[in-house]
Amino acid sequence: MASNRFTPTGFPRVPLQNGIGRYICQLKRVTLRFCKSSGSSRGIRDFIETELINFAQEHPGTAVYLKPRRHKSPSFVAEYLNGEREVISCHNFTAQQMVKWLNLYTTRSGVPLMRYVKMWHTECPSIQGVWSPFTNMDPKLNTTQFPSEELNKPTWEEKSATKKLLEMVKNTKINDVNEDDTQRIEATQM
Amino acid sequence: MLTLRTINRILKVVKTNQRCEQSFHRWLAPTLRELKRRKDALGPEKPVHRKTYIEWNYDTELYAFSKRLGEEFNNNLLQQALTERSYIVSEEEKQKSVGIDQPLLDLADNSKLVTKGSNFIDDIVNRYLHTVLPRLPEEGIIEIQKYLTSTETLSHISFHIGTSELILCADFPVEKLTLANVLKSITAALVESSGNGRATAFVRDFILTQIADKDLHQFWKPEEPIKLLSDILARDNVQSPEPRLIGCSGKNTLLACFRVGLYTPHNKQMIGLGFGETVDIAHEMAARDGLRQLFGLSDTILLPFNIELENLCASNTKNLSVNEWSQMKLSPQSKHLEFYQTKIISSN
Repeated sequence: MASNRFTPTGFPRVPLQNGIGRYICQLKRVTLRFCKSSGSSRGIRDFIETELINFAQEHPGTAVYLKPRRHKSPSFVAEYLNGEREVISCHNFTAQQMVKWLNLYTTRSGVPLMRYVKMWHTECPSIQGVWSPFTNMDPKLNTTQFPSEELNKPTWEEKSATKKLLEMVKNTKINDVNEDDTQRIEATQM
Repeated sequence: MLTLRTINRILKVVKTNQRCEQSFHRWLAPTLRELKRRKDALGPEKPVHRKTYIEWNYDTELYAFSKRLGEEFNNNLLQQALTERSYIVSEEEKQKSVGIDQPLLDLADNSKLVTKGSNFIDDIVNRYLHTVLPRLPEEGIIEIQKYLTSTETLSHISFHIGTSELILCADFPVEKLTLANVLKSITAALVESSGNGRATAFVRDFILTQIADKDLHQFWKPEEPIKLLSDILARDNVQSPEPRLIGCSGKNTLLACFRVGLYTPHNKQMIGLGFGETVDIAHEMAARDGLRQLFGLSDTILLPFNIELENLCASNTKNLSVNEWSQMKLSPQSKHLEFYQTKIISSN
């Protein structure tokens, strides 16, 4: 899906809560426009000869019209229940391509193509309730006495250079003592 | 320099000798411009009815319409349901203007079906709401029902199942009232062709599902919730609830937030919780929350659309009104829903 500035943006929507009750195919009418003689209509003519009856039987809720027009490029017009109408060019299509494109347009909702801001949408304001500063509050805070020493401190404090140095000195001292101890132990053993 | 001069001379000669023939039609752009100007002067095109197109077959459309809904209609009844009185009148006038004194039209209009369908829809919506929301006061049920059976909602549904082009009526584009009436008459036609069961399922699938995903609190907002809550509790012999400030943040700032809990004095149970930018608002929100919990209308409510339709409660069932609402009077009624839900779960 192109994401240029001309594509409308929006959320995925379902017309008429389709699917909560029963599913309605949103394609109400399809008109196949083709030429009876030109080569570019070859595929659509093949489609009409071989596949059209199957298509009409599988989608009884869609009215199918055939409209031959002399020496014009073939196309089909998909009309949807929400009033939208789309024209799709079938120039030089094969019968198989026609099946695939018609399948795409029968399974669409008819809402014009758009760039989705999110992949979901809900009319319900919130499932977990409206947020307040007390939502997901730590239960420990219920019994804390204020002012508290611990909570007054910053949550993360960087060690100062002096503190780091002192720690390093402390560590080395312990190591020296340890080494002396081992030497002493070794001496006694000898 | 010499060479440039010679080239220029040669070019001059060539220019004067060649015939002036251009590769494009100079008349094309002005003609198109003129056509555009005339078209603009005529104003925007009026919308035309789909039936004026060559590719239009009313019988095919009717067949597709019933198949789309997945219902079996009696063809004559469906035709009658889609015929408005205004259409018959206008057709008769047309025939008279041609010179036919006694116009013959083999058409019946849908006015009878409309009243029948309207009653049927009202009944089903009413029974469903009473079954699903047994604790909600009658006033709330009436408001939700008003929304579901309003012209606005029904015309929206009617348009989206594709009636707008099939209706035979004088007005174009079709008015909302006509669309709503046709949905009612279609329901009545379905009752007569396939029986009550199918028609009930039709109403559920297309009309009742309109409240799915909606905020149910927007339809009915009780006034003075604090007073109402204490009145209701008084009927159950509970003292009026005690509000307590249980949270407070950002006091004396723009983003102040207070949280108030309502507690029953006798057993110290919290019955409502709310927050707001002042203590008064938080108190009122807590009372609203308490009322919602009593009325079984919590924020996370999911209405069951799959309950068995034969077992909807009787049409004369009435919920308690706000003025007499108390939990003691409620007990036998409120078990409806739990009963149906367990039934569905066990059958699944």
